[in-house]
Amino acid sequence: MSRFAVSVFGRDRPGIVAAVTRVLADAGCNLEDTSMMILRGHFAMMLVISGGAGIFARDLEAELSPVADWLDLQLSVRSVSGDVVTVQVGGERWSAAVYAADQPGLVAHISEVLADHQVNIVGLKTRLVGEPDAVYVMHFELKVPAGRAAQVQSDLSVAARALGVEVSMRPDEPDVL
Amino acid sequence: VAVRPVLRLPAPQLKVVAEPVARLDQPAQEVADDLVDTMGAYDHCVGLAAPKIGVGLRVFALDVTGHPKARSCHGLVLLFNPEVLLGTEPKVAREGCMSVPDLTGNVLRPSRVVVRGMTSQGTIRVIEADALEARALLHELDHLNGLLFLDRVAAPHTDLFQRKSYR
Repeated sequence: MSRFAVSVFGRDRPGIVAAVTRVLADAGCNLEDTSMMILRGHFAMMLVISGGAGIFARDLEAELSPVADWLDLQLSVRSVSGDVVTVQVGGERWSAAVYAADQPGLVAHISEVLADHQVNIVGLKTRLVGEPDAVYVMHFELKVPAGRAAQVQSDLSVAARALGVEVSMRPDEPDVL
Repeated sequence: VAVRPVLRLPAPQLKVVAEPVARLDQPAQEVADDLVDTMGAYDHCVGLAAPKIGVGLRVFALDVTGHPKARSCHGLVLLFNPEVLLGTEPKVAREGCMSVPDLTGNVLRPSRVVVRGMTSQGTIRVIEADALEARALLHELDHLNGLLFLDRVAAPHTDLFQRKSYR
């Protein structure tokens, strides 16, 4: 079995998901993990798909090209390692909200603080809203090494004061029922 | 002691609406015993509804004793034909389920509930619960109606969603 990373990007309109996934289904591919969302009016699709032996990235890209032309999409298909990465990132699960008047480098500053503590960002969504007085909103899903959360919170607060941003962190451990 | 395997998706039994327990006969009591035994065999298992062990009957076992997120705690609770009388103060919390591999999701549920059901002695028991015990009661009650937390996740990716589109 072979596995591919597919990315699709284009001005949002109805029918993109249907058109792209139909081609992949007809090519005998399975959608595995996917994430699709609107980013500033553009529709972005990121897919990891699997297909049988004998399927090649360049063939899939060629099969998708009529759809890409029709819907004016930027599209790429790349081969990725066939092994599913099942390593679970250890640590405590937290979420963090950060928001402020927009300024360059916010994500870099905040994520550097997290990286210094070996915090793993398992999800990050950012939104620029409310123009002309733009506000930048970030929502992090984090895996924090055991016992480090208090220090991370403290360092984030220091960074937040320096940057003039609001930061809050809350535990996000699931209750497995 | 009969420890039964806990079913996981895509087991079809998880999506069936369970039948009321008509009589507290020997088979019904055995299901209850199996629920308690199976719950005890899994670390961190705070609740188990019959459909999770493949039995389509309205009964569950629950015990939040010692859980750090528990406030109310009624010890081991075993209820047949349970129903929710009252649910207030909805709160969002991240839930996982033994029957759903790997995933967790944010679910809005009442954080205070009053639940009524029948004990294994046939008496009516009314339980007033909050915090984790309330959430666990509602989670197990959902299983009796073929509902998983996946059916209740508000927004799978994040709860931040654009209010209007860009043009």
